[in-house]
Amino acid sequence: MVKKSKYKPLDFVIDKLTNSIENTSTGEVFDTEVVRLVLKDISQVKKTDWQFDWAKELKDKTKEVYKLTTENNHSIIQGLISIEDKQDHIFMHLIESAKFNKNKDKVYLGVPGNLVAYACKVSVDSGYQGFLAFDAKTALIKHYQESLYATHFRGLKMFIETKAALRLISQYFKS
Amino acid sequence: MGLIREPKNVDFTFESKPWTEVELRDFRKLMTELKSKKVKQKVRGLDARKKVIA
Repeated sequence: MVKKSKYKPLDFVIDKLTNSIENTSTGEVFDTEVVRLVLKDISQVKKTDWQFDWAKELKDKTKEVYKLTTENNHSIIQGLISIEDKQDHIFMHLIESAKFNKNKDKVYLGVPGNLVAYACKVSVDSGYQGFLAFDAKTALIKHYQESLYATHFRGLKMFIETKAALRLISQYFKS
Repeated sequence: MGLIREPKNVDFTFESKPWTEVELRDFRKLMTELKSKKVKQKVRGLDARKKVIA
């Protein structure tokens, strides 16, 4: 059964790719950038720092890997995303926050949401009307419905459709 | 601009498994319906505007 979250439709133009994350202890907000990583950038992703095998993602030509950093420090990766162009939608393979952005002591809030919003932007820019598909952990399906305005498709399968994607993009990208 | 602040004790980590042919087919069917519904809504909106102008 398809369950949809409630939201108000939005109408806006995105003209600046500036987004942000928030320091959990100070509340300070830092502007961020999303940059594509390619195989030659593999040294930036130390295997011991990450749970998933990002080298494998970088080597896979069907996938695109992007890193999220703060605008002032491009060398510290806050999070990574791996997506695939499915010709009519974007499929999200992996998202992982940096070690220091995990668990209750995480340094920054907003890293995954930021990356999901970017994936939605890729979908819009590709002419797929913002459609983004992914798998969720059972316990997080409700969270994703509420925070990412995602639609539950079946089992662990979820997707983000146009209005939800535009709303997400509007939350992260200044217009 | 707003931020999606995931709860401190929750980590949004995604690890998708490739969808099966059946899952993809069904998803594409639903996606096509949703996309065409949006186009129809736009057309209806344009028609309404045309009527007002006329």
